[in-house]
Amino acid sequence: MTESPLTTGQRVSSIAHDFGVFRALTARGMMRMRRIPALIIPAIMMPMFFVIAFSGSFSALANVEGFPTPRVINWMVPYAILQGASFAGMGAAGGTATDIEGGFFDRLLLAPCRRPILMVGPLGYSALRSLIPTTLVLLLSLALGADLPGGALGLLCLYVAAVGVALLFGTLGLAFVYKFRSLKSLSIVQIFIFGFMFLSIGQVPLALQSGWLQHAARLNPMTNILRLSRQGFLGHVTWHGTWPGLVAIAGLVLGFGAVAYRNLRRIVP
Amino acid sequence: MSNAPIEARGLVRSFGDVKAVEGVDLTVAEGEVFGFLGPNGAGKSTTVRMLVTLLRPTAGTARVAGFDVVRDAHQVRRAIGVALQDAAIDPLMTGNELVRLQAVLHGIPRRVAEARGAELLERVGLTGAADRRVGTYSGGMRRRLDLALALVHEPKVLFLDEPTTGLDPTSRVSLWEEVRRLNTELGTTVFLTTQYLEEADELAHRIAIIDGGRIVREGIPAELKASVGAPTLKVDVALASVDAARSVLAQFGAERPARAGRIAIGLPEGAAQMPAVVRALDDAGVRVSHLELDSPSLDDVFADATGRRLEGADE
Amino acid sequence: MTATVVEASPCRAGAIAQAYELARRSTVNMWRQPQAWAPGLFFPLMLTAVYAAQFAKAIHQPGFPPVDSYLDFVLPASVLQAVAFGATGGAAELAKDIENGFFDRLVTSPVSRVSILVGRIAGSAIFAGFQAGLIMVLLIAFGVTIKGGVASAAVIMITAVLLALGIGGLGLVLALRSGSQEIVQSTFPVLFVLLFVSGTFWPTSLMKGWYGNVARHNPITWIIEPLRELVIEGWSWGSAGRALGITFGLAVFTTSLAFATMRARLRRL
Ligand SMILES: Nc1ncnc2c1ncn2[C@@H]1O[C@H](COP(=O)(O)OP(=O)(O)OP(=O)(O)O)[C@@H](O)[C@H]1O
Ligand SMILES: [Mg+2]
Repeated sequence: MTESPLTTGQRVSSIAHDFGVFRALTARGMMRMRRIPALIIPAIMMPMFFVIAFSGSFSALANVEGFPTPRVINWMVPYAILQGASFAGMGAAGGTATDIEGGFFDRLLLAPCRRPILMVGPLGYSALRSLIPTTLVLLLSLALGADLPGGALGLLCLYVAAVGVALLFGTLGLAFVYKFRSLKSLSIVQIFIFGFMFLSIGQVPLALQSGWLQHAARLNPMTNILRLSRQGFLGHVTWHGTWPGLVAIAGLVLGFGAVAYRNLRRIVP
Repeated sequence: MSNAPIEARGLVRSFGDVKAVEGVDLTVAEGEVFGFLGPNGAGKSTTVRMLVTLLRPTAGTARVAGFDVVRDAHQVRRAIGVALQDAAIDPLMTGNELVRLQAVLHGIPRRVAEARGAELLERVGLTGAADRRVGTYSGGMRRRLDLALALVHEPKVLFLDEPTTGLDPTSRVSLWEEVRRLNTELGTTVFLTTQYLEEADELAHRIAIIDGGRIVREGIPAELKASVGAPTLKVDVALASVDAARSVLAQFGAERPARAGRIAIGLPEGAAQMPAVVRALDDAGVRVSHLELDSPSLDDVFADATGRRLEGADE
Repeated sequence: MTATVVEASPCRAGAIAQAYELARRSTVNMWRQPQAWAPGLFFPLMLTAVYAAQFAKAIHQPGFPPVDSYLDFVLPASVLQAVAFGATGGAAELAKDIENGFFDRLVTSPVSRVSILVGRIAGSAIFAGFQAGLIMVLLIAFGVTIKGGVASAAVIMITAVLLALGIGGLGLVLALRSGSQEIVQSTFPVLFVLLFVSGTFWPTSLMKGWYGNVARHNPITWIIEPLRELVIEGWSWGSAGRALGITFGLAVFTTSLAFATMRARLRRL
């Protein structure tokens, strides 16, 4: 037997190993995205269009009593950005579904790292890539006349909310993909995104809504996340406007994450 | 339990109503090349996937490298290298990128990984293609890359699921040589599935034949062949005289499975009986177009165990 | 397929019978695949319900047409949106036939060439009429009054059929030129943009700046506005004529283009 560094037991420590796998999986996602730009382009174009279309179509909302800002675009930007982030966030699930269908996921499952890392790695990719539409849509909106009276803190809230939304739909997507093992199952996640985003204060504040929608939007955790992302565009950042959004993100990510993890562990020991 | 690198007891796996594996027991000794032989759908891949922790067994237990494949899956993964039947490869990545990723997945320090990756790619003849995307590789190149990847972390136990299916004869022989080298130089225990009798005969110290989810024979190839006993006499005749030939041949030995137009029997005394057989056929007016006497092969072992021949293995 | 073929050079009656047979086949096919058409009904209805609730208060502002509820305003938009969702279905089927070679078998059989195309879009068109009727019935159940009465409802239905032919014809042109389902389906975002940057969901008179200008010059607006007058103001020959005229013109133009493209494609064979 020849002696090699490996047979003498040389491996990195367990924490360094897990972190290395996390970093490699995130980087692999970004690499795939660079090689197939079509994976990210819709998540950029769609929110850009939403900013233009929503603030153009509904510019007259500013005349309605109770609408919180004279600039309708300020109201619409965070909504469009969170839409973009939600689609960008599905990247984790899309990549994993492709891996499962193509068999590559077996290679990842065979890695002697802790199982949650196999989830967290792609989510890192989701979070990272959600910064792309967020930043581009923000720049476009500023060029179109949006402003950010909440300053740097407002900006931070926007980015935290966008990354949070990417993570939460990323975990939801993983929960479906681990269960159904197909790319197709992601169309169900799109319906979830549609519901979460639509039955909220996306386009119109609670005060202007009526009946059933108002009830639904009040209960929808996305409403709190939208408030978090939007406060810097409407005025100053307050703790009161911040913590409910953070709680909503943490709650949903952990909840969906638990389901996803359970589904992953059903596949393999 | 013993210290055998691979040991399965009563492994069962069903998919809904389909019973893919129905109670497999096997033990592979340290340093052995173990051949797992069976036709399509026999349950080879399902067994391998359970042994390498990719599939939960429905029932039964297995230990690999001394660890339980369900309870200590983590330790099992550290000890094994795996090349699955459908090479698990991302067409968007280059060979080098995959080798680097594989090293990270197995917690190998970068400087070790660099040298080892280059050496492995060299050995499987992919140095020139290392910076090309795997999507542009031929089927054989993918399999060779897959093998290199399985070896990056120098596993003590190597699982190869049909490693030579789809390879041309030259690539097949060079893969055999590589497996032999790993086994003799590094002492790697190899669990290899195949549909090719020749491959099992050539490489394996011991084999098991699986059919319909059950192991039907197990042992050292030479002993298995000897156990079938008599050599096989194969006689090709015109379709019209098959029945006549059959009744003549029945006097000399028990009939064995064969393809249409051919009759095979076990000939207890081998070549010594040949003149008598030929004379008897001639007396009965049977026109023989081809006649051969084969010493027992693994195919005979398979036929003896299952009543069928392995497809395409007849010639 | 060739079972319906009676003679090598089909007379007119034969062509009609064949077109009927192919139309029946595509309608039945569509009916059997709810996943293909259900989203085209569900999403527009969902959007209608949400918009009605979120704009409940915003319609009471100067410049908004006098309506009891946003539903009155949006009825024609819901119909056209549903039609736009489903109109390229027939063309996508044709592209699929081209992709898998069925089309080549069809054109080498003595089935009349006209009936191949007609059969493909007739299914979508019939379905559009059905969608229009269903949506009107639902909205009437939720309190909408079509002031122009039955005649206006009939005009809306016919407009829907004509628009489906118009969009479907365009889809056929793309299908025949590209032979790719993906390209036919890529028209969807374009339709979506056209629908949004128009008077579909909001009066163009209340849109400011360049956006308002674009919306006012969008052909979708020219179709929607007269239909809306039929619903919220009452019957008028002028409005009916405008809506029907534009969609009829579009339908004739794109279907002729489709036939020309078909001839060109067959010459290339
Ligand atoms: N995921 C699955 N779901 C349902 N049935 C399965 C699944 N995997 C395998 N099977 C069934 O189990 C049986 C054994 O399959 P397996 O892949 O283990 O055979 P194999 O011996 O590897 O065959 P091959 O030589 O074709 O690779 C087959 O009948 C197969 O259809
Ligand atoms: Mg197999």
